[in-house]
Amino acid sequence: MSDYLVPFGPQHPAIKEPISLRLKLSGSTVEGVDAQLGYIHRGVEKIFERENINNALYLAERICGICSYAHASAYTRAMESMMHIRAPPRVQYLRTMFAELERLHSHLLWAGFMCHEIGFETLFQLFWREREQILDVFERYTGNRVHHSYNKLGTVRYDIEDEDYIREQVHSILPTVKSLRSEIKGNGVVAARFKKVGPVTHKQAIEYCLVGPPARACGVKNDIRKLDPYEAYGKTKFKQPIYKSGDSYARTMVRLDEIFESVKIIDQCLRDMPATKVPKHSLKALPQGEGYGRVEAPRGENFHYYIVKDSKITRAKIRPPTLAVFPALETMMLGAHVGDVPVIVASIDPCIGCMERITVTKGRRTETLTEQEFRRKYCG
Amino acid sequence: MALMKKSPWVAVYNASSCNGCDLEVLAMLTPRYDIERFGCLWRDSPRHADILLVTGIGTKQSAKRLKRIYDQMASPKYVIAVGSCAISGGVFKEGHNFAGPIDKIIPVDAYVPGCPPRPESIILGVVKVLEKMK
Ligand code: SF4
Repeated sequence: MSDYLVPFGPQHPAIKEPISLRLKLSGSTVEGVDAQLGYIHRGVEKIFERENINNALYLAERICGICSYAHASAYTRAMESMMHIRAPPRVQYLRTMFAELERLHSHLLWAGFMCHEIGFETLFQLFWREREQILDVFERYTGNRVHHSYNKLGTVRYDIEDEDYIREQVHSILPTVKSLRSEIKGNGVVAARFKKVGPVTHKQAIEYCLVGPPARACGVKNDIRKLDPYEAYGKTKFKQPIYKSGDSYARTMVRLDEIFESVKIIDQCLRDMPATKVPKHSLKALPQGEGYGRVEAPRGENFHYYIVKDSKITRAKIRPPTLAVFPALETMMLGAHVGDVPVIVASIDPCIGCMERITVTKGRRTETLTEQEFRRKYCG
Repeated sequence: MALMKKSPWVAVYNASSCNGCDLEVLAMLTPRYDIERFGCLWRDSPRHADILLVTGIGTKQSAKRLKRIYDQMASPKYVIAVGSCAISGGVFKEGHNFAGPIDKIIPVDAYVPGCPPRPESIILGVVKVLEKMK
């Protein structure tokens, strides 16, 4: 029997995006979780259905502001698979490099956020200061800090000029990240707040189909960059960090280790990139039919599926990483101390904007509908 | 600076943004931009805040919540709409769940355009509101 029902969110200091969790507590132990979604549901899949293929790229990257480039690359991968083309080698290396730059900025952002959850404001500020170095690179080559609009079908918008600048910026973050990592590793407070908090076992991870760092924290090797290499990942060497314990601490460590691997990939890209020209336009045919694209976003596998007819999208289906990880959140929380809930939520690195689906609420009644029912009732 | 006579506290509400605007609002707090130079203090609860930054389009569900949060704030209160989404709905304005833009839900004092706006321009928006407070 639970004693209290505590609402957590939608406007809550510990979660920056509005979701609402109803926590059933017995004493201070969590006995049940009920997630209420729908605050950020913008109907992106539906808006896709009227778009033509060139405009839809800009919509795809506005699904989420943190992994905006991952959505754009999944989109281009899907469209290019429909056209049976592959981008020229230099473009592939450029795209790989930008995907890794995005991973760096996303992981730094998240690491700062995780430290903020346990009250380490200084670490939060330090991680975010380093993140600005990466955003400078984005701004210099794409003109924007968050939504880069870097990909085009078959090519990219701009070539890079001075490779040394990128190398310098990327390496400038390493000393701080190294020292902060050892700080996190050796700190007793961090260990007390992260270790054995929100654990998932290897078996559960497979049952829930976890993706990304939460899965790699329980020993599941599921990096799409290794399993289904795209762009130039097949030609680069990197490790996937694997931990066994499956708790918040392991998830933290996986992401911090990935920062170093990403820097290695960027170095290889800058070294191996052929000095050819980036084509202005390489579209020979228009996409037609159906196709999918998947990429390893900073948070895990990001899957896009499209049907295209006469250069208009008629159906879009998107499975962002958080949607795959979210169901496991309940398992992580059961039996946890209520004070650990913010840490557990932050440890899966949720991106609610990506995963928002629909729940229809009328008064106290909630109904979850299939797409056809929803259309019949509300879109008619 | 004459503006520094007041020390407004700011809070943010994400009325269904893509996160891009929220990141830039958060970046405002971090060492490079550091909004505390202007005497602003970040508050997690809108009840303590004088200025509410609103990002996102305002969906049917979050519009109700936004109205409630606005009503909970103590007067005098100011609202800044951050980003194209908050101003007009941006790329999402044809969506079936669009209930905004924000100025249809609550009164707005300043608009900061951009997708997302740079932290500097959000700070400019805050400073403009400071001028309005005088
Ligand atoms: S204005 Fe742009 S960055 Fe801001 S919430 Fe809207 S789509 Fe995202």
